[in-house]
Amino acid sequence: MEHAGTRVQEFIGDPVSDTPPVDRKQLEAIFSDIQSDMRFDHELNGCLNCGICTATCPSAHYYDYSPREIVQLLWTENLEGIYDAMQEKIWACAQCYTCAARCPFGNSPGGLVMVMREVAIKHGMESAKNVLRPFSRVMLKLISTGNQLAPDMINKEGFPDWGPNISKVDAPLAILRKAIPMPTLHTTKTAWEVNLKTSVELYTIWEETGVLGSLKTIDKNLHDVIADIMEEKRDELEEWLEEQAEE
Amino acid sequence: MTTDSKIPGERFTGHGPEWREVKLSRRDANTATAWVEQVIDKRSMLTQKDRVDDVRDLMWQLEKEGEIVVHRVSDEHQPVMVKTLYGWDKKIPTTRLWHHKSCGQCGNIPGYPASLLWLMNKMGIEYLDETDQTSCTAWNYHGSGIGNIESLAAVFLRNFHQAYVAAKAQGLPASYYYPLVHCGTSFGNYKEVRGYLLRSAKLRESVTRILGKLGRLVDGKLLIPEEVVHYSEWLHVMRGQVANHQEIDCSHIRATIHPACHVYKMVPEDVVYDDDVLDGNRVAVSTGIMQSLGTQVIDYSTWYDCCGFGFRHIISEREFTRSFAIDRKLRVAQDEAHADVMIGHDTGCITTLDKNQWIGQATGKPVDVPVLADCQFAAMVCGAHPYKIVQSHWHASSTETLMEKLGIDWRAKKAEFEAYLKEVAAGRFESLYDPRRMVTSGPGYKRIEAAK
Repeated sequence: MEHAGTRVQEFIGDPVSDTPPVDRKQLEAIFSDIQSDMRFDHELNGCLNCGICTATCPSAHYYDYSPREIVQLLWTENLEGIYDAMQEKIWACAQCYTCAARCPFGNSPGGLVMVMREVAIKHGMESAKNVLRPFSRVMLKLISTGNQLAPDMINKEGFPDWGPNISKVDAPLAILRKAIPMPTLHTTKTAWEVNLKTSVELYTIWEETGVLGSLKTIDKNLHDVIADIMEEKRDELEEWLEEQAEE
Repeated sequence: MTTDSKIPGERFTGHGPEWREVKLSRRDANTATAWVEQVIDKRSMLTQKDRVDDVRDLMWQLEKEGEIVVHRVSDEHQPVMVKTLYGWDKKIPTTRLWHHKSCGQCGNIPGYPASLLWLMNKMGIEYLDETDQTSCTAWNYHGSGIGNIESLAAVFLRNFHQAYVAAKAQGLPASYYYPLVHCGTSFGNYKEVRGYLLRSAKLRESVTRILGKLGRLVDGKLLIPEEVVHYSEWLHVMRGQVANHQEIDCSHIRATIHPACHVYKMVPEDVVYDDDVLDGNRVAVSTGIMQSLGTQVIDYSTWYDCCGFGFRHIISEREFTRSFAIDRKLRVAQDEAHADVMIGHDTGCITTLDKNQWIGQATGKPVDVPVLADCQFAAMVCGAHPYKIVQSHWHASSTETLMEKLGIDWRAKKAEFEAYLKEVAAGRFESLYDPRRMVTSGPGYKRIEAAK
């Protein structure tokens, strides 16, 4: 598809803004990527602007964000509005899906937001780069081990608002972890011990599904660090397999 | 909303520039919202929509056509049947379970899975906790947008394939274990992904190629689970048996329940409802076990709200998370319900509601509601050690207050645990299972006899 057919054919732009209008082809390419996602038609079925989604939305209480607005922009194929929403608003959604549970049309505004976030990353939007900057450590951990969170990430420096002590019993983290009666959890750098083969399989999934490519668009340095770590893990597994074959 | 009820300085956003206040009187506003109160957040709100199809029908058809293999909940898994939103049957396996752990639980609140395994030991349930699994990766996906439907589907199929073959490491047949998902987000994500896999030949084709590369196909076909089962569903069907092991009376405990969004708002047609639990009007899990244990389950007006976790918000928009958790959940549970405890059934919710109380005290918005997962509370009143098993020291909320109300001498228990830590430091630690079973392949794997 060269570009999506839209119902809004006239390109108007914002007459009072000093910001130069975004190229029409870029807007169409972005919308085309959103619209061609297999989930789009499943999650957008119509909208009467009833606002029941926004009335229940936790993020609408705190941010300039409205799931009703997101659905309306997509439903009316307002390409400039969609682009504008992708600069900041879509990142306010808390992904609770209360909007989806309530929508009488069976829309999933939260699900549509996820499609828009993916497309924002694919197009290397500055908003995506800004939002994902604090996620570097999380993504490094997740992509290389399959664990999002590790015990050593939860500390007083990182989470000062969680109180003066992460554990109410004062002891070294490694000892506290060994005192959990599940040996898979005797770890500090991952939430559980992850099999080497498992990490390598997961990395293959990231490669094959284009996720590493997305990561490279957003943060090349992080991508390169992960690639180095995973190449080492692959070599390690290969060596082990060769040793097994020899035995 | 009425003008006279508005809190000074309060401002609602998100309605768009065309939004205007209607300036209704309080009486007119109450009349206008009466309908909402009758209809919204009730089970009927979901059942009155266009009814969705049961994707399991598609699943059986695809298996009949030879395109997929279904991992069945068999008689050996001793299933118990429950009813879901539309009255459909769902099979909940009760034994031979493969624990699909939660990265947030294991990393942050490890007493959550430990309590679950302890309850299983208490009831003689067979299970496997192993290292060959990844998280569902959906926390990161919902937080950052890094990932896509293909990657989520491939991770789902890889992990569930491992659950299918894991028993071979013990010399047992494939399909021996059935996966039990610990995390609410994994549960919602896997069900959503299963639906897309069953509906889309294109998605099946692309992930078949990837799973083939990983050696994760069964007879060259994708393996799809008959049911995606959350641990809270297991606890729900086992609630009578759990109550048989109860040692501590908790009939005086006022419990509020926080149902997790990704457990019951995602793929709502698969959610367990029980006519004996809150008249079948709300998701039955957690409330059911708390009723069976004899607590007083107390309602509160914001039960339907999310916890404020937000996936990326808890990491990089913390002011939103803690404000929502305190103002919309904890304070309401405390002031309206006079809750002795807030019970949840998901990783992010427990973390959010538990960890964000300290900052409330520090900034003049004090709240004090102990927060535990349903299985932690159940284990505690069945006699589990509050530190060795329930691992309550990782909880920031005042679990000590709850223990005092339950008649548990937490100081003595804490002292026991601190003494135990010296044993641990000397290399002598206790385990809920034989540690040799946790590695099923790759480096570190040693074949052992089938262990019950």
